[in-house]
Amino acid sequence: MFEYLIFFTFAAIAVIFAAIVVIHRNPVVSALALVVSFFSLAVMYVLLDAPFMAALQVIVYAGAIMVLFLFVIMLLNLAHTEEPITRPIQQFLGITGAAGFAITIIYYLLKAAVLHTGGPVEFVSDARAIGVSMFEAYIFPFEAVSILLLAAIVGALILSQRTSAIPGAKENGSR
Amino acid sequence: MSFDTPDILLNLVKIGIVLSLVLSVTPVWVWVERRGSGLIQDRPGPNRIGPLGLIQAMADAAKFILKEDLVPAQAHKVLYNLAPIFGLIPAVTTCAAVPFARGFTIPETISYSSIIGILLVAGAVVNFILGVVALRVTSHFGAMAGATQLNQWVGKITGFAMIASAPLLLGILAWFRSAGSVAMPFGIGGRFFEPIIADTSIGILLIFALSSLGVYGLATAGWASANKYSMIGAVRASAQMISYELALTLSTVGVLMATGTLRLTDVVYRQSGTFVLFDTISIPAWNMFPMIIGFIVFWVASFAETNRLPFDFAEAEAEIVAGYHTEYSSMKFALFFMAEYMAMGTISALLATLFLGGWDVPYWNEPANFVGFLASFVAFLVKTSFFLFVFVWVRWTVPRLKYDLLMKLGWKVFLPLALLNIVIVALLIPLGWI
Amino acid sequence: MIPTTWFLILGAILFSLGVLGVLTRRNGITIFMSIELMVNAVNLTFIAYARELGSLHGLMWVFFIMAVAAAEAAVGLAIFIALYRHRETIDVDEANLMHW
Repeated sequence: MFEYLIFFTFAAIAVIFAAIVVIHRNPVVSALALVVSFFSLAVMYVLLDAPFMAALQVIVYAGAIMVLFLFVIMLLNLAHTEEPITRPIQQFLGITGAAGFAITIIYYLLKAAVLHTGGPVEFVSDARAIGVSMFEAYIFPFEAVSILLLAAIVGALILSQRTSAIPGAKENGSR
Repeated sequence: MSFDTPDILLNLVKIGIVLSLVLSVTPVWVWVERRGSGLIQDRPGPNRIGPLGLIQAMADAAKFILKEDLVPAQAHKVLYNLAPIFGLIPAVTTCAAVPFARGFTIPETISYSSIIGILLVAGAVVNFILGVVALRVTSHFGAMAGATQLNQWVGKITGFAMIASAPLLLGILAWFRSAGSVAMPFGIGGRFFEPIIADTSIGILLIFALSSLGVYGLATAGWASANKYSMIGAVRASAQMISYELALTLSTVGVLMATGTLRLTDVVYRQSGTFVLFDTISIPAWNMFPMIIGFIVFWVASFAETNRLPFDFAEAEAEIVAGYHTEYSSMKFALFFMAEYMAMGTISALLATLFLGGWDVPYWNEPANFVGFLASFVAFLVKTSFFLFVFVWVRWTVPRLKYDLLMKLGWKVFLPLALLNIVIVALLIPLGWI
Repeated sequence: MIPTTWFLILGAILFSLGVLGVLTRRNGITIFMSIELMVNAVNLTFIAYARELGSLHGLMWVFFIMAVAAAEAAVGLAIFIALYRHRETIDVDEANLMHW
């Protein structure tokens, strides 16, 4: 009973704030709303018996990625960029497409998504189980991701350099 | 999840203890900071209100509540008002995962002893004095312009309630003394009382997760104020906190490797024995001895995490007025102030827990009863207070760094040192030294 | 225990909101945030199925998705900073130099 109360409260928070992310004109408000949405997703992970992933969700998404977003929005002072509503046909197609997608996928989820493997199965997701799984079965993806992150660091550094590494690119000294 | 009345009651008691500790950090440590600053700078410090200026913090609180609350015209109103709350929530919630004393089994019946009598009398006296002080403060500031009727009523009701609680406590004492011994009410007798609110399997990660949200309070405040100094403070703070979080997190990995679990109660239990050096000298089995590098890195990074000197770039008053809270006044400013001190308190408690054995009393095997609980609680408070005092001490000893030096220090010195600590611990564990 | 289907439906709703954002908005950062929302909806679905099947593989995928999302955020935001330096806007309609 208590679980259902938590689920519905945080599901509502997640959906409402996700809607604010998409609809709101001010990117700072969008970013903060996305943080709230991610936090309620972390609550969902706790309800799904995966507290370790919940902590990772908050540390990685709310604590690092969204701070980066907020940092860039503040740095570029994007809060006051207006976005006139143009291209009515595309807007209409986008809204109807998203709504149609939602209705279809929820219909099929209600119809045939859960496999019913026969009763609840034991689900251990503590740090030890995750660590063992990661360094035994998933050691290669783990190393690949570390290389990907290194590449991302180098890429971000080159892209955001003030004196452009691209020859012939116009340098903007005003900022 | 099921409802269990004794369990809920015990949890409420724990929450009460921790919240009263966390909320009292601010007034007590403002006093310590100001008197300590005076001591270091060879001047008296605040000494007018109360003996040794002890009531100064209450006077400050009254002043904050009565001041006018200004909102800049260009500010984003909603976020401007929410920002202090964003700042306060991580500071209050992180301490839920810190174990603050040795657990003990609650006895089925409790019989009267003189210690209980002394405690009850002391409680009555303290409540009476605090009530009188609250009434005096209310009548003193009530005459000032700007004091609302509501504030005065709150002050009066608080004061009278505290004075009335004194005879109530004495009555309980008299009744208890005549009864001799009573059974523990609500069926809490026989339960094991583990003094930590959230004893989760992800303990330390929970703390890092919640404290990583602290940057939003600063960033939102700085942006919503529509002030360039606030903005610079916010941008600096977010960059600094992200950078130092890495060193902070990595320096705890050694502790977790030695413990083999993320649960903070286990971290403390593992440190409660002794190491024996060269088969002769025995020292407490605290993590700070084998992991001295990690300890130092964590300690220094905690200064950056809490935005204290020498790393207080978010509010460097010589450079950017007051940083992210330039535009804040009245109680909203006080909330930022409280959040800063609470974050200091939590990180000091964490330092003590991870590296100094938490509630462990050195060279003494705490018994699992109420005496062990009290002794370990005092030990925990002493260790935490020591680290809190160092925050004050360093503030007047080390000058503020340059901002680029801060980043260089974080990325090029503390991050490699934290990694070195992991390597050393990984070498020590198979040798059996930890 | 809450039925897995409800978590899947929540994931579907969040994913659709992300789709809506990507299709209708033109502010680059908002589009990027919508993509992050979609990624998180997928993460929720992964963990819901992981509990349903009692296997850790779904969790491992979420871990790698988080790492990739972090890399993506670093590079993507660097691209937006570079774009803003050159064109003074992050409206994705304005970034049409390579448009045919």
